[in-house]
Amino acid sequence: MTNKLLTIKSAKKKYDGGINALDGVNITIHKNEIVAILGSSGAGKSTLIRSILGLVALDEGAIFFKSKTPIVNNFQLLRSSISTIYQNFNLVSRSTVLTNIILGKILSISSWRILFNAWPKGIQMEALALLKEVGLEDINLNKRVENLSGGQQQRIGIARALIGDPELILADEPVSSLDPETAKEILKLLKMTAKKKKISILCSLHQVEFAKYFADRIIGMNNGKIIFDKASNKLSKLDLNKIYK
Amino acid sequence: MKKFKEDLKPPFNIKSLFLIILLLMVFIISAQRVGMPDIIERLYESSLDLVGIKDSSKIGNGLSRISREMWPPVIESKKDTNLILNFDSENIPFNSYIEKSLVKSYEINPETLLLESTEENILFLVEPFGYLKTVIIKIIESIEIAFWASFISIILSIPLAYYSAKNYTPNKLIYFFSRSSVSALRAIPELISVLFMVLAFGFGPAAGIMALGLHSAGFLGKFFAEDIENSDKGPQEALIALGASKWKVLKLAVLPQVMPQYVAYMLYILDRNLRMATVIGLVGGGGIGQELKGRFDLFEYGHVTTIIIVIFIVVFIFDQISAKLRSKLIGN
Repeated sequence: MTNKLLTIKSAKKKYDGGINALDGVNITIHKNEIVAILGSSGAGKSTLIRSILGLVALDEGAIFFKSKTPIVNNFQLLRSSISTIYQNFNLVSRSTVLTNIILGKILSISSWRILFNAWPKGIQMEALALLKEVGLEDINLNKRVENLSGGQQQRIGIARALIGDPELILADEPVSSLDPETAKEILKLLKMTAKKKKISILCSLHQVEFAKYFADRIIGMNNGKIIFDKASNKLSKLDLNKIYK
Repeated sequence: MKKFKEDLKPPFNIKSLFLIILLLMVFIISAQRVGMPDIIERLYESSLDLVGIKDSSKIGNGLSRISREMWPPVIESKKDTNLILNFDSENIPFNSYIEKSLVKSYEINPETLLLESTEENILFLVEPFGYLKTVIIKIIESIEIAFWASFISIILSIPLAYYSAKNYTPNKLIYFFSRSSVSALRAIPELISVLFMVLAFGFGPAAGIMALGLHSAGFLGKFFAEDIENSDKGPQEALIALGASKWKVLKLAVLPQVMPQYVAYMLYILDRNLRMATVIGLVGGGGIGQELKGRFDLFEYGHVTTIIIVIFIVVFIFDQISAKLRSKLIGN
């Protein structure tokens, strides 16, 4: 199929201590598709996301990104086309809102500009436009991120992900540390932006209701294995019972 | 229930008692070895002397003899005009004057071979703040030594810290070598290393700068490296996932986190080097220490007092400035 964006084939990962984090996982993410992964803690969701970025080395299996040749030890191309949103936001504390957003475009900024924090005007303007897009148009650009609320920090995280013009966004439990109301707002923002900009999302979530609202497709994981993979409107209670034993 | 009871262990048991007795024995033996009873005896004796129960004490005798000679501090300088090259009595420095004094000198008469005293009127050039000026010039030299030593230590510690941080070092061998050098630099006290530096750079500030710089590079290298290792991994992972190289991650995700602590360390090192710069002169490292040693050896305790007061004032002022600077930088 031509609209395949990311394919993971027979991924296996065993941590020290014998825990099977990934046990023969096969997943395909298509262009312009939002996929949620559900599963209890330790099911292998985070390992799966981290392995796509090369932050966790797979024991077996292969990752394909827009091509028929697997990515082996060279994740740079992949990293330039994928952005990530994290549970704890992973923003750089003691740095400003502006700097944190611009970091999403780090590959296109020269070393000397990084050395002196001299950001190109064009990228600064892009960051400003994105702040508006994520609903933070009134925020002080020079405010340090640690002084913002959780919801605001995650919006900055989304802006940082978007500035790199990604084709795929990986989101590792992006709303777990937010209150339900803010969580819903963040997911709504993410969904709307992804659909508008034609970005695919692979997102791990804990809340079934959020997953149903957010994703086109839901994958259920347990003990490193895929238990189900179906359209979100076809998800049944029986499926959920299989992953939340 | 049985398991639960096992978990509820008493805070002390027979083992603890044995350990306390052992520690007490080590404590007593060590105190004997280093002469703690003598210290206590002398302090007790001098406190009796202070309140008038005893006539004299060893501490009292020792300190009162030197303290009588240490006061008042000497701030003027007095130079024999015969020893000043091209002395022109019409053209003397501002605020100074010429004083005539009768000086008694002793000579052996070559004919009688007896010691004879002669009295002679000698002209002295007196500068009322002359010695204070000398001390200030010397303390400025010490401040300069401290500044340059700190500068060198910062420059040296940057690569040392990078290669000594487990999560950034390229390989185990480089890690081992840089960690060992950091320890070695720290292990050699400045007062020892300055002796070697004097051999390499000669007497004076250069030896002092190198000795202090190398020693404090060991400290900074260790502190910097440990902060890099302990910094929040989340932002670093975010940047790695975006494809950033190691140095970019270090610059953008680690430095902002550790910077306040680094500034605090650097100020501490500058503060420490300032205090040490006054000491290393004693063994040839230049600065005020050299002057202090010279005056001490000539038994000119009044001059020594002036030096100590000036050192105290400078260290105190710097302490205040660095405390304010630190709270300002870390507070923000």
